[in-house]
Amino acid sequence: MQSHLIILQKAIWSVTRIVNRDKSGATSNSAKMVSESTELDVRSSSIALGVKNLSKIFDSVAGKVVALDNINFTVKKGEFLSIVGPSGSGKSTLLNMIGALDRPTSGNVYIGGIDIFSLSDSEIATMRNSHIGFIFQSFNLINRTTVLKNVKLPGTIAGMAGSEANMRSIKILEALGIADKASQKPYNLSGGQQQRVAIARSLVNNPTIVLADEPTGNLDTKTGDDVFEMLKTLSHKFKRTIIMVTHNPELAESTDRSILIKDGRIERDVTN
Amino acid sequence: MHPGDIFSLSFDALIDRKVRTVLTVLMVVLGSSLVVVLNGLSAGQSAFLESQFSALAANIIYVGSGQHSYHGSSSTVSITINNAVLSKISTLPYIESVTPEYSGSVEVDTGGETQHVTVTAMDPTKLTVILPNLQYVNGSTVNPNNRASALVGDTIANPPGATSPFVVLGQTIKLTYSYTATTGKSATEVQNYIVSGIMQPSGNSRIDSSIIISLAAGNQLLHKSTKYDQLIVAADSSDYVTTVQQELTTLYGPTLGVTTPSAIMAVTQKASSGNAAFTLMVGIIALVVGAVGIVTTLYNSVTERIREIGTMKAIGAQNIDILELFIVEAALIGIIGASLGLIIGMAAGYVLSIFTTTNIQGSGDVHIPPIYIPTDLLKVWVLSVTLSLAAGIYPAWKASRLSPMVALRRE
Repeated sequence: MQSHLIILQKAIWSVTRIVNRDKSGATSNSAKMVSESTELDVRSSSIALGVKNLSKIFDSVAGKVVALDNINFTVKKGEFLSIVGPSGSGKSTLLNMIGALDRPTSGNVYIGGIDIFSLSDSEIATMRNSHIGFIFQSFNLINRTTVLKNVKLPGTIAGMAGSEANMRSIKILEALGIADKASQKPYNLSGGQQQRVAIARSLVNNPTIVLADEPTGNLDTKTGDDVFEMLKTLSHKFKRTIIMVTHNPELAESTDRSILIKDGRIERDVTN
Repeated sequence: MHPGDIFSLSFDALIDRKVRTVLTVLMVVLGSSLVVVLNGLSAGQSAFLESQFSALAANIIYVGSGQHSYHGSSSTVSITINNAVLSKISTLPYIESVTPEYSGSVEVDTGGETQHVTVTAMDPTKLTVILPNLQYVNGSTVNPNNRASALVGDTIANPPGATSPFVVLGQTIKLTYSYTATTGKSATEVQNYIVSGIMQPSGNSRIDSSIIISLAAGNQLLHKSTKYDQLIVAADSSDYVTTVQQELTTLYGPTLGVTTPSAIMAVTQKASSGNAAFTLMVGIIALVVGAVGIVTTLYNSVTERIREIGTMKAIGAQNIDILELFIVEAALIGIIGASLGLIIGMAAGYVLSIFTTTNIQGSGDVHIPPIYIPTDLLKVWVLSVTLSLAAGIYPAWKASRLSPMVALRRE
């Protein structure tokens, strides 16, 4: 485990240097930077994510359903935040908003100081590709293709050269201890290994934040703990900003900070 | 995304669903190969007809009884073509010669082997009036006054596919003509002839598959009682064909069928073109069915891969990336299907032409090879690929418009 962490550290630093070089000047011209008067200091270099007055109302047969009601919080760079709450509380809706998978009814989400919903759909897609890493509960790997192709997919979508995408992916797979599985198909791997592949995929473009939706939900306790420890290592040793949705209070307590969502509102915001 | 990456992902997706991909490609193959086969066979048939008529002299007019007219709709009244008619026509201006002819179907026996063929009775020296370039094999002699001699066409003498000739020069052949006697009873007339000449392939299938005997011998064998089946009128030159044709029509009206090789060719080519258009439509319908198969395949593929599409969009794929992935899948199906269709279609055309021969005037089987014109093949290929792409547009568009959140939620 210790040797894996050392390799992981080197890999992350290496990938970070490459991506930061690539991203310089890549910010869209149409992206609106947050005004100085914004109440939340989301332009601070220490802030990775800012959520301001975020609300989401769904229209349903039964009428309007308020899924999120005036949510406000910031996440510091390198912070490991967990979002917990009962089923239907709005935590997944919140994660979808942060990940720009859905648009809010009102309010703003800032990633790296950019108001993401001021962007066009195409710019949002580019932003998701370069600034957000996704880890899904059910891994969401493409089973017909190899582990390596899965991991480098965000790089491929970004138009990265094949050799560079391969190099980055292999470094991360080495760091996560599954480089020997690179040429295998995901369905031949265990659940824990598949989630590691998903973690590797989320890191390949060196995103500003990593969003994990119940990343241990489909794993047994031991494997889930291993994956969780990996996320903690990413956050604490390599200063990755991680936002994890979970319904497991024990895991939530092990993160830097927990936000409890209930009925679409922040019920509690606790630093652990 | 780089084009190479899109191609790689699309190819992977097709390979992942091998059976379905193969079946879809097969639909395109069937459609495009059907168009190629039908096009090739139609072109071959047209070329065959042209070659048949181009071998005929341009100044020839065929005169038959009205009921046997080839000139548009057949008339209901006809006159008997006898020596009186022959003499009258011979006196008309701009006419070089008039050759009377009898014809009938007979059984030819070479002393063991038999064939059913057409026997044509006419002055054999006048064969070159119809076919100016007619040649005979060495040793042949044309005896216009010898009632016992016969000239044999190349197709009869050397049947296609046979290892040895059916008849040779100097051989005696027995012709048997079956007819209904005036008493109403079936009767047969049998005559022996000596093969005095064998014609080289003339390009005219009617002559190539005929036995030519003298007019007098024909009158006896076929029991014609000097009632000719046809007069072969040669105008002074091709410039006078229309004038003579009009004169004959004025003189005899619909009681005589008057036609020219160019008129026959025009009618047959019109029929051939109509047939070609019909068969082409059948082929295009098959192609459209193939395109519907592509729509079904890709639409199912979008439904099955909806979470994959959601994942790709979640990690940053643009709408255009997803659109391109599915369009390239459709294009690959189209390109592979159309290319295989061309190859298989061409091969099938040759095979079909070998195994299916065309019967000309009930007197012989003729092999008509298909003709593939490169520009036509290119058009079929482009049409197949275009239809495949068009079929892929809707599923691709639907996939590209999917919301990532909705797609990720779908089971």
